[in-house]
Amino acid sequence: MSFDQNAFLIIITAAMIAISCGLLGVFMMLRKMSMTGDAISHAVLPGIVIGFFISGSQRGLEVIIGAGILGILATLVIDWLRRKARVQLDASIGITFTLLFAIGIILINLLAYKVDLDQECVLYGEIAYLPIDLWLTKSGLNLGPRILYLSLLNLILVITFIILFFKELKVTSFDENFSKVIGIPAGLINLSLMSMVSYTTVSSFEAVGAILVVALLVVPPATAFLWTRKLKLLIQLTIAIGIGISIAGYYLAYFFDSSIAGMIVSVAGIGFLASALFKSKSFFSRFGTSRTSVSFEKTV
Amino acid sequence: MEDFVYFFTFQDSSIAFVVIGIILLGVGSAYVGTYSFLDKKALLGDAISHAVLPGICVGFILAGEKNPLFIVSGAFISGALATFLSSWLNKSTRLSEDAIIASILSIFFGFGIVLLTIIQKSGNPEMAGLNQFIFGNAIAILESDVYIYGGLAVFIILCLTVFQKEFSLLVFNPDYGRAIGFPMGMIRVTFNVLLILSVVIGIQAIGVVLMAALLITPGAAARFWTDRLGVLVILAGTFSAISGVLGTYISFVIPQMPTGPWVVVFLSIIALISFLFAPKKGVLSRYLSRRIYLRKTHRDHLLKLLYKGIEANKPGLPIAEIHEAFPFQKTQTKQSIGNLSKDKFITQNQLVIELSSTGRSEAKRIVRLHRLWELYLNEYMNIAPDHVHDTAEKLEHLLTPEMEELLESRLNFPKLDPHQENIPRD
Amino acid sequence: MITQVKNPILEIHDLTVSYDQSPVLWNVDLSLPSGKLIGILGPNGAGKSTLIKAIMGLVDPSGGYVKLFDKTLAEVRSRISYVPQRESVDWNFPASVLDVVMMGTYGKLGLFKRPGKKEKELSMESLEKVGMHGFANRQISELSGGQQQRVFIARSLAQNADLYLMDEPFAGVDMATETAIFELLKEMTAAGKTVIVVHHDIYSAVNYFDWFIMLNLHLVASGPKETAMTEELLSKTYGGKLNLLTKVSDLIRQKDFNPLKN
Repeated sequence: MSFDQNAFLIIITAAMIAISCGLLGVFMMLRKMSMTGDAISHAVLPGIVIGFFISGSQRGLEVIIGAGILGILATLVIDWLRRKARVQLDASIGITFTLLFAIGIILINLLAYKVDLDQECVLYGEIAYLPIDLWLTKSGLNLGPRILYLSLLNLILVITFIILFFKELKVTSFDENFSKVIGIPAGLINLSLMSMVSYTTVSSFEAVGAILVVALLVVPPATAFLWTRKLKLLIQLTIAIGIGISIAGYYLAYFFDSSIAGMIVSVAGIGFLASALFKSKSFFSRFGTSRTSVSFEKTV
Repeated sequence: MEDFVYFFTFQDSSIAFVVIGIILLGVGSAYVGTYSFLDKKALLGDAISHAVLPGICVGFILAGEKNPLFIVSGAFISGALATFLSSWLNKSTRLSEDAIIASILSIFFGFGIVLLTIIQKSGNPEMAGLNQFIFGNAIAILESDVYIYGGLAVFIILCLTVFQKEFSLLVFNPDYGRAIGFPMGMIRVTFNVLLILSVVIGIQAIGVVLMAALLITPGAAARFWTDRLGVLVILAGTFSAISGVLGTYISFVIPQMPTGPWVVVFLSIIALISFLFAPKKGVLSRYLSRRIYLRKTHRDHLLKLLYKGIEANKPGLPIAEIHEAFPFQKTQTKQSIGNLSKDKFITQNQLVIELSSTGRSEAKRIVRLHRLWELYLNEYMNIAPDHVHDTAEKLEHLLTPEMEELLESRLNFPKLDPHQENIPRD
Repeated sequence: MITQVKNPILEIHDLTVSYDQSPVLWNVDLSLPSGKLIGILGPNGAGKSTLIKAIMGLVDPSGGYVKLFDKTLAEVRSRISYVPQRESVDWNFPASVLDVVMMGTYGKLGLFKRPGKKEKELSMESLEKVGMHGFANRQISELSGGQQQRVFIARSLAQNADLYLMDEPFAGVDMATETAIFELLKEMTAAGKTVIVVHHDIYSAVNYFDWFIMLNLHLVASGPKETAMTEELLSKTYGGKLNLLTKVSDLIRQKDFNPLKN
């Protein structure tokens, strides 16, 4: 079987996106903010559309900035609804993201004459076009698929962010009160995490769509969490799962002639449910049926 | 303008059916969603909405066309599976609830997208109608649809109304319900069935992604206007119906616009109005309430000032001196003087202000409350005399006559406060 | 009986704190001596946790202030250590015992720096002091209640502070752990540290502490056993909530804003 360059490019890009999302998703899951991640990935849509509109046919920085602003805006609106207007948290999230997403869809329709975005594409992307959407410099040099570079940049930034703020992310996710007391700016850390999620959503949506970004944020970390309680291993497993589902998803999508992103998520889903099934039998026959495992050995 | 008239006078019977359809759909969803909202499980509806997509596609594949029976059944089974998996995962893993909901939501949706794109590629001309399930297209509701979906909606509304007692027990106090012998397990299952049904019918109008709004927003908005459950659901239903009709109208006037987003926009506008302007709970109302309270506080302080003047043998105080007592509050003081004059608590003699007889009673009352509270803080809570003033100053405006009685009897009708000042009575 | 001290390590002045729209602590005035083991006692809902949270800056007071080492909290953060209630975190978090204890060193490290050998040594020493040295690599989800509590205390020891505030460190803990923790706290105060503990059990409290703070929505007493734990004061603390105070709190809660806040 000859080396299929297109397949390779697509899989590499998908894997990079899956890893970026998975790394951020680990911390979203630990902070019990998975649904907020879902909300942000929907909420950035108007920002993306406006960014496209402003930048014309050149998809560039405006889109990223637009989405970043919307992501932060969404977080602030949810917070305002909860604290000032006193709406309960789940409703604040639901109302905010549905409104912003609705506005995004309306904008796509209104600005269709100038904005080359497809409603459905927004939802599930079209990574299959990746190899032909090339980055051509002014001198005509072909540097390869544009989205590949976008995803690579995103991955580098996400990894940098996580490494730089690893201990801050760890302690604010585990014990927010304690972190505030020792002087860590917990609010800022939270906001920057949300911003990274917004940026990653934008960077990835052309390939996998806004909604499937959520799957990549949530499912690999959740699957990994079923297997291990060690943070380093959790992260490594999330990365491995991200790579695995990209490969499997691509080939299965090719076989069934379906959306690549959708298939990647479906593979992830099967992995998740299988893990849950497997773990629920052997795990609990060893440790009993209670939800929290407590060892009763006498202390030293 | 012509369009407006054409639409709203229902000259076209197909439009009439669309409007009836969307009203029934919206009200049904609002009813169920409100209970979900009260249960604080609003986002579960979001998960179910996304989860019905694969079921819809399977129904379509099996029927070869947009057959409502196949589609509804498929969606229902899909939704039920998602609900079942959610509770199973909750029970048998240590994953947090939000991670489970988000996972189920995106996995089912991803699978649905796979099926959707397979159908698209198969070139079946019927499939154009399938897209409507993602973003909603109320205009596409046919007369036959109305009977099926509308019928289901009526069923949902009836169920929730007839069994209001049982369902309110479910969301407010299930343990109590169990204790008095209600089959809470069955009721929960029934509720989930109604929830899934309402999602299945609601997505016609609003689509899978935005369905959560149809469930959550009406109830959240209505909650700001009333505390009574019966009124709450009816109000939520009304909001939903209004938004549904307006959204459909837009779809009618601009055919390439999907209905869903516009319904959400109108719902959100109603919600925002509710959050801001609802009496008592609205942001604005609370703000005004606080302003009114602060103004009363200032008037009370002014009365006290005049009374203390009397205690110091000054029957009246010049306006300038009153203003001096409240630096940086010139407008406020002027306003208070005006209001107190109007209520005949004070009289103005050239540039000197005096208390009227009613004014004197009122002032005595406030001073009395202040000093009683100071004594209470001092005697019962060991708070030093120089620390009791501030709290008393803030609370004297709140204490009711009932509290006054309690204070008096508790302290045994005392004569002096911690600062050795007289406690005035009539 | 409220005993005030000169040169207090902690001074609270006319502190009123509201929680969720209604006042929980009214006009608390107290000063505490250094180098003592101090217990905060009172019935459920008396405001004990709220007091600690107000001192730690986690809750904003409606009135009054707190001074630590005669300075504000922001100025002396590195000298203060906080042990929250055990239920306030999810023990399913993917961390080892050593991971959690090392978090105590983060405050002094600052942004961007990673914990190194020095921090690890300090953490292992802290684990020794609580008798959990051998558990360093155990996942926290596998610990018993008593072990979890020890880990929390080890974390606070790793902060190397002068003043320790602990919220119910003895709650739900087995007898052996309770004795071990108490011995440790006594050693700490002997070495000059000040430890303030919210405690839930009045009977053991009598034997544990040098100084007692009795709370019941207001400060009933503060001082050594003889002056703070008389029968009269005990009945004031545990004899039920002040009726009027409760009524006023209800009134305040009915309003949609808090009139006590400035």
